[in-house]
Amino acid sequence: MKPVDNLKGVNELTNGKKVLGVVTAAGLLAASLSACGSSDNNNNKNASGSEPASSAPASSAAASQSSGEKVTITFQNIYPDSSDPKYQMLHKIVSDYETAHPNVHIELDSLNTDQQKLKLKTQAASKEVPDITIVNPKAQMQPFVDADLFAPLNDMVQQNGLADTFQTGILDPYTFNGNLYALPDGNNIAILYYNKELFQQAGIANPPSTFEELIADVKTLKAKGITPLAIGEKDSWTGSFLFMNILLRTYGPGFLQDVTDGKTTFEDPAFLEAVQAFEDLVKAGAFQDGATSFDYNAGENLFKTGKSAMYFMGSWATGGIETSDVSKDANVGVFKFPTVNGKGDPNQYMLAPGSAFAVSKNSKHLTETLDFLNYFMLNYPKELFGLKGAVGLAQKVEGDFKAAGYSDMSITVMDLFTSVNGGDLSFDNTMNPATSQVHLSSIQNLFVKPDTDPSAVAKEHQQAYEDNKQ
Amino acid sequence: MKVLKVSNWTIAAFVLPCLIIYIGLVFVPIGVSAYTSLFQWNGIVPLGMAKYIGFDNYHRMFTGDSVFWPAVRRTFLLAGFSMLIQLPLALLVAILIGRYTRKANFLVSSYFLPVILSVVVIGQLWKTIYNPASQGGMINQILDKVGLHSWTHNWLTDPKVAIYAVIVVGLWQYLGYHLLIQFTGIQNIPADIYEAAKIDGADGFKADRYITLPMIVPIFKISFVLSFIGSLQSFDLIMVMTGGGPAHATDVVAMHMYNMSFLSQKYGYGSAVGTFLVAMCLIVTVLINFIFNRLEKRYS
Amino acid sequence: MNRSVSLPSAKPAAQAAKRPLPIVKTLVFTLFGILLVTQLYPLLWLLIYSLKTNEEILSGSFFALPKAVQWVNYKSAFGGGKYWDYLTNSLLVTTITMVCVIVLASLAAFAITRFRWKYSQYVMLLFLLGMMIPLQATLLPIMVMFSHLDILNTRLSLILPYIAFQTPIAVFIMSGFMKTIPTEIEESAIIDGAGVLRIFRSIVLPVSVPPIMTVCILTFINIWNEYVLAATFISKESLKTLPFGVNSFVSQFSVNYGAIGAFLVLGALPVILIYFLLAEKITKGMVAGAVKG
Repeated sequence: MKPVDNLKGVNELTNGKKVLGVVTAAGLLAASLSACGSSDNNNNKNASGSEPASSAPASSAAASQSSGEKVTITFQNIYPDSSDPKYQMLHKIVSDYETAHPNVHIELDSLNTDQQKLKLKTQAASKEVPDITIVNPKAQMQPFVDADLFAPLNDMVQQNGLADTFQTGILDPYTFNGNLYALPDGNNIAILYYNKELFQQAGIANPPSTFEELIADVKTLKAKGITPLAIGEKDSWTGSFLFMNILLRTYGPGFLQDVTDGKTTFEDPAFLEAVQAFEDLVKAGAFQDGATSFDYNAGENLFKTGKSAMYFMGSWATGGIETSDVSKDANVGVFKFPTVNGKGDPNQYMLAPGSAFAVSKNSKHLTETLDFLNYFMLNYPKELFGLKGAVGLAQKVEGDFKAAGYSDMSITVMDLFTSVNGGDLSFDNTMNPATSQVHLSSIQNLFVKPDTDPSAVAKEHQQAYEDNKQ
Repeated sequence: MKVLKVSNWTIAAFVLPCLIIYIGLVFVPIGVSAYTSLFQWNGIVPLGMAKYIGFDNYHRMFTGDSVFWPAVRRTFLLAGFSMLIQLPLALLVAILIGRYTRKANFLVSSYFLPVILSVVVIGQLWKTIYNPASQGGMINQILDKVGLHSWTHNWLTDPKVAIYAVIVVGLWQYLGYHLLIQFTGIQNIPADIYEAAKIDGADGFKADRYITLPMIVPIFKISFVLSFIGSLQSFDLIMVMTGGGPAHATDVVAMHMYNMSFLSQKYGYGSAVGTFLVAMCLIVTVLINFIFNRLEKRYS
Repeated sequence: MNRSVSLPSAKPAAQAAKRPLPIVKTLVFTLFGILLVTQLYPLLWLLIYSLKTNEEILSGSFFALPKAVQWVNYKSAFGGGKYWDYLTNSLLVTTITMVCVIVLASLAAFAITRFRWKYSQYVMLLFLLGMMIPLQATLLPIMVMFSHLDILNTRLSLILPYIAFQTPIAVFIMSGFMKTIPTEIEESAIIDGAGVLRIFRSIVLPVSVPPIMTVCILTFINIWNEYVLAATFISKESLKTLPFGVNSFVSQFSVNYGAIGAFLVLGALPVILIYFLLAEKITKGMVAGAVKG
């Protein structure tokens, strides 16, 4: 159930300075992990099992509580999957809050990602934005901010120390002209998961560290009748995410920013090289048959059911993979995206600041909504920690993951965060939607026509960029 | 000749309730949509902040959009298949059912069944049928079993084949619909005409050629219009099955409108595509009516 | 008209019986059989699918029956999917829409076909134009309008556009039928001193049952399965309809194929039941109006 939303991106992040911010953030996260338990107010283990919210930092609910007026807050969200820890977290926190505030009712409008995006756009046009909704960072939320639809959260985030729970710099992609408009649900990096048993069957000892090895492994796996790499390319951002990681290796961070700044174009040799490498991967038979008709979930399920040897995705997938059958007996490992033609730094990752909660400026119950969101975000990491869904959050998590029963795989993923040395953001977070759509379709095309001349792909991109730049 | 002369108030009382809801929720929105097609608008900021650009959206659509014309072509392909395969097949089966069966009802009802199912159900169902054999796809498994491995395809992801795979589902789902229309039409042809023809020596298929076909023209026209409009507006099924992919290989006009409006956030441009679609529906309906009126005149 | 539609006594069948052509007949029935299989088998398959375990579904033995019938799939479909709520909402919205469409469209069709007035043909044309308009193109303008009227997120926000989009075909079918009613009926009614409303209510409506059935069926099929508006205009969980439920169920239970199959079956079941209860009326009524159009 993971959203396009998680791929979100940020122009500034691609500039060195801000990237450092994220790196530091990841470092902090790691630090807070290892130095478990030194927390100011709350204990950590199985927060989910414990009783109602009273123990959590009490929210400044006085206003709504005293008035006693019946208040309904609509909370549009993208957690409809009842097997997802986030679904359970959401329902737990909401029911806790409603217990503490009997006059407040939280109406959950749970949609899958595509539905939610479409709905929010139509709602925005008619100024009917729900009290709380989901947006994606930077380029994707810009039009909504321009239309002045969201309430600034600057004051709210200072209450009850909420701001301090976030990693340094992670709020920047959601900040416009000094105003913070949304609070992220995660902070992720792209990694490769692999099925150890299938690797063994094919006689591959170690996961690949170069692209050439990756291609060789793909061919070996393919020869054994094993699908090498699962992908859900009907949701075309998945292929784009992988492609952008190749580009990150051949060019280094900040390619799209440099295009925007006029320092290079899509006809840059590094871009052509990335297209070529991607085509090689397709031609080697890396992806499952009919990859472009698999949606995100179906693609991920191939890996979760042990039908594919590898899976490339943001670290948000960790929770779902951890609880699936395939990761029994520590069968799943993770590795960094390899270098391409000897280029690139494996410690530079595709960065994915999460989808984020924004509050409607026109909310009829703005005070109560802000109060609830404050409470929600404070409890968010605690509840998820107990539900084993706390990998890749935007907030600092206190607690001993190992003792809480997280698998070695999860802990390896969290260790990878400490290695982050910058990176880049997904295409549709950086570029305007119209250019992004052309890009997504262009990459999807490579899955079915891997013989396309790379320079034609580059031209198509450049043309779309020039047609749609403001 | 109409015999009821009533006051204007009575006419208004009968017609207006229906007309107001209808105009207010069908024509006004279309008008609004045609108006927004003159703007460069992302659909999110207030329309007042959008830039008026006259007919630029249309100009670009007709001359500078590499996805648009192929989408138009595919839309007509869909309509063409429906008219050349689905409708004649429906007519043939309708005639045969009338001629050879006594339990017509059972057959007609069974053939009609797919029509009543939601596109979500149909789309998911056929996606599974088209899957590669390794993922349980029925068609590919059958082909493998009968030794036609070379015929197997990734039906929904091979750009050359995908659109036809989708078309087949459309033909499949609505065959029963057109069958039912034609069948009832044939049943409504007065029996004495056949009796008379029989005396003149016209029997069996000959009777069909000289009686059934001409008499069924008006009903065939309804089928024609419905199938054409259905094809032009086809959207849900493609959305569920392929999402227009791979790489626009199954995009049709309605899909393009949706993509432009909501995914590329060019709402003004999407409105232009939508307006084009409405215009096309109107023109084609007028054309079909014209052609069939000529046909009817010739036969009557 | 009613008389001639009666299906089982189809006349050409009698002709064929006299001159049996075994080869042709075999071919014809083979064709019927093939069509029967292609039209019905996928539904049977869905039923079987919904009773299998995940492993059985993924293992790719397409034709195999489940080893043990997995009723548990239906249990999870009922449990997680809020099936009854969705079903109730769908029934409510569809029924109200149906009643309104029939009342409004038959009034309008009556006025168009039986009243003597100048603009009747233009009004008819206007309705015909509406048949060609794709619903998706009106999504955003309607949303803006409803937002001003403050009726978003109510059942009304679905019912109103549904009525509007079903009227053209309804008026088309009803007026097609009403045109064929002999004018003598009205003439004698006028002599009896009956008012317009009474002519409509006690004379025209009762004989118009076949086209009304047709309209009911068409409206039912279209509205019951409508998804785009339902997903966009309704946020309240308690007001969501079945197609929306089916679709969110598919994404919620992304891993549990059997449960998805079960929910798809449940989603299709009401409409199939109604269809089989009414199959004969449907096939009769389907074109009752359109035939003379």
